[in-house]
Amino acid sequence: FILRKAEPKDVSDILRLIKELAKFEEMEEQVVLTEKELLEDGFGDHPFYHCVVAEVPKENQSIEGYTVIGFAMYYFTYDPWIGKLLYLEDFYVMKDFRGYGIGSEILRTLSETAVKTRCSGMHFIVAEWNTSSIEFYKRRGASDLSREEGWRLYEIDKINLLKMSSK
Amino acid sequence: MSPLVIRRRAADARRETELAEYEKVSDQIKITQRDLEQDGFSKNPFFHGIIAEVPEHLKSKDGHPKIGYSLYFCTYSSWKGRAVYMEDLYVRPEFRGKGIGKALMAKVAQLGLAAGCTQLNFTVLDWNKSSLDFYLKQGCWDVTSDLGYHCMRCEGDALQHLAQGDL
Repeated sequence: FILRKAEPKDVSDILRLIKELAKFEEMEEQVVLTEKELLEDGFGDHPFYHCVVAEVPKENQSIEGYTVIGFAMYYFTYDPWIGKLLYLEDFYVMKDFRGYGIGSEILRTLSETAVKTRCSGMHFIVAEWNTSSIEFYKRRGASDLSREEGWRLYEIDKINLLKMSSK
Repeated sequence: MSPLVIRRRAADARRETELAEYEKVSDQIKITQRDLEQDGFSKNPFFHGIIAEVPEHLKSKDGHPKIGYSLYFCTYSSWKGRAVYMEDLYVRPEFRGKGIGKALMAKVAQLGLAAGCTQLNFTVLDWNKSSLDFYLKQGCWDVTSDLGYHCMRCEGDALQHLAQGDL
């Protein structure tokens, strides 16, 4: 397999993999993002995200005929105490392609990017029921900030944002 | 009270120190004023800041007219697209209870909506009851409680090892 930076032609594979991961998290109906938005937001003048994809040769393609079989979506955030951080938004390898070190290699590449770009750390969220992923991350030295420091993630959706901004 | 001015201005490292003291972790600040200037005000800033400023005759006892701020940046949701992350929100104690925090947050919401964002995310410490109550009143919901997502971090030696492919 190879790991490479995603290109505009990859947006339909990226969206497919986003939906597969969301399905695994039982959140498939929450994905409202479109290929058009992914294209504009990832490959314009000021990208909102970066993406790496894992690709296999044609002879190893998936049952449905896909060669892009894994991906990671990330962007840079900022902690005013320690500076730049790399935020891992999505990270997924198709079921049939697990156990070959593809996920490990993706994570290694991303952490290399983090170190090269002077990031102090890599942040991400994991569902607390996802014990196999939590173990995977803990083996690599990740710590659970929600449990250890009491941080809770909050969200305000668009309706409430509109209400708030018009007050 | 005289009209409050909210401006996008240079982040003030001193405010960061105050917020960190409030959160009881001031020994963890590694960033300097220079870092903030470089990372926030170059061609591709890693963060944006807005400041709440009062007129001269209303300034704080120690002589500062800048009495509150918010630090935010754009992120990306693989489910919904563009999002805004509010990293810091702070108002000096003697200026609370006057709607300044709400005004700062409303401004971040406005700027986020203008940039095409459909959600605003942030984290809160679980012991911070007054902040939790404030946010719930604005229409926020607790993603950690409701969906079980935990904030995770990989940093320092663990990040270096991950980048080198050690396990």
